[in-house]
Amino acid sequence: MSAIEINNVNKVFNAGSGNQVVALTDINLSIASGEFVSLIGPSGCGKSTLLRLIANLLEPTGGDIVVNGKSPKQARLDQDYGMAFQQSGLFEWRTVAKNIELPLELKGWDKAKRHERAMEMLELVKLADFAGHYPWQLSGGMQQRVAIARALAVHPALLLMDEPFGALDEMTREHMQSELLGICRASGTTVVFVTHSIPEAVYLSNRVVVMSPRPGRVTEIVDVSIEGERSDATRDNSAFFKGITAVREALRGVEMSDHVRGIEDR
Amino acid sequence: MSSTITRPQRTSFLTPRRLRRVALFFASLVLVAVAWELYKVVGPEAGGKIFGWKLLPRANDNAMPHIWEMLERYGRPEVRGSDRKIWSVVLAGAWFSFRLALVGFFVGTALGLGLSILMARFKVAERGILPYLVLSQTVPLIALAPLVVSWGGKLSIGDWTWPRWLSASVLGAFLAFFPVAVGALKGLTSPPSASIELMDSYAASWWQTLRKLRFPAAVPFLVPALKLAASASVIGVVVAEISTGLKGGIGRLIIEYAREATSDPAKVFTAVFGAALLGLAMSGFVTLADLYMMRNRPKEANA
Repeated sequence: MSAIEINNVNKVFNAGSGNQVVALTDINLSIASGEFVSLIGPSGCGKSTLLRLIANLLEPTGGDIVVNGKSPKQARLDQDYGMAFQQSGLFEWRTVAKNIELPLELKGWDKAKRHERAMEMLELVKLADFAGHYPWQLSGGMQQRVAIARALAVHPALLLMDEPFGALDEMTREHMQSELLGICRASGTTVVFVTHSIPEAVYLSNRVVVMSPRPGRVTEIVDVSIEGERSDATRDNSAFFKGITAVREALRGVEMSDHVRGIEDR
Repeated sequence: MSSTITRPQRTSFLTPRRLRRVALFFASLVLVAVAWELYKVVGPEAGGKIFGWKLLPRANDNAMPHIWEMLERYGRPEVRGSDRKIWSVVLAGAWFSFRLALVGFFVGTALGLGLSILMARFKVAERGILPYLVLSQTVPLIALAPLVVSWGGKLSIGDWTWPRWLSASVLGAFLAFFPVAVGALKGLTSPPSASIELMDSYAASWWQTLRKLRFPAAVPFLVPALKLAASASVIGVVVAEISTGLKGGIGRLIIEYAREATSDPAKVFTAVFGAALLGLAMSGFVTLADLYMMRNRPKEANA
């Protein structure tokens, strides 16, 4: 069964008014359960908008989307997905454990069960010793790990990530990529991952969706065929470089512009 | 990566920094007293002019009694022949006004919070209400006080009738609600869109988002607003006491004692210090609330 079906989806902002922007046009994409798919493209190509359509934070203007066999709205109400953003978005007044408990609280879980799950998630992201800390006492990488733990707390089938490692330094970033793959392997989670980084997309993904702006559309889908489990050694693998070249060439066909109004750069 | 990590720790209430601030406060009191006495020595008896402007206050004992006379006055009876020493009268007056100001503070804070939630919820409400809030603060309190008293006097619900002191509290609340409404509105709308999206992605209701996100995010904005509200409620109550002639409070004492300024110049100062004590008690109360509300926040925002 596919985790996400996107058929002929369009998104127009401010439709009919003077500053109408066609953010996405004619998007078709099917993502299989357990698959890791990256969306890559220059600013203004609508990759974050597409992620928000899947998350039902935005409604498509046309076409339809099926998430986990349901409408995106139903999937959101059922908390079928977890979400992580570039800014960790942790609440500074809550401890690390309480931050992870937030989605469970909103779902009405009782206290003991919540705490148990939070500790389980902290084990997973290797931060069990920091349950009682406040976010501002952690480094950027650790904060992002907490955000991922929070996104996974409800054991969602699907993880939606919007440049989650964009604000991290290169070393931490590579480390986090490996951690994320380990976590997804362990949990069998389907991931849709928005990024600016070609190596990041190739290292993480089964498929890389290359998008182009004005209007935002899918120009190519690159299959990344790297044998076996990915590890830091993968980064020296020739298949990895082949993937990078393929994505770069696909992007080169995309008209680049520094002056695209960044609809998605919020 | 873990070298910069600090364990969360409870800092003790009496940190060296806080002790130093308390010491500085008392030092500044002494300094003011010294300056006062010094001016009495060098200042002109009948006041003085600088470049033709009458700027220098009179330094005679009627206008500026000695500090020790004021202190000594506390130990003598309020009026000749009474056994009530003036310190107990002033303290009772300050306590009376403190309670009125506290009622005004809480009513004003509740009103301000309610309005800010309404304005944060409905953009229309913000556009409709906010200009009136700003306008309300330009109405002179002195003009409003008699109106509130006369409206209140006509109000009775069943056996309950409007007590006179409530008018003073209402005027305190009238000044106190404004900074709370404006500060809380700013705080409630402060969360970044990513945090709002996060709550939306959890399918959180508007009230859940208010309780779990907007309200805690508003706390750092609320703290300075509450400090303003505390001093505003004191001013409101004291001015209301004076302009409505309410007996028992410190405002009334100041007016009464000022009438005796020629025969008993130190007397009015005992009441003035009582009013200062009232202000200090109120801001101390809010500072404790501040320490409690900000106990787990990043220290930068706490400075």
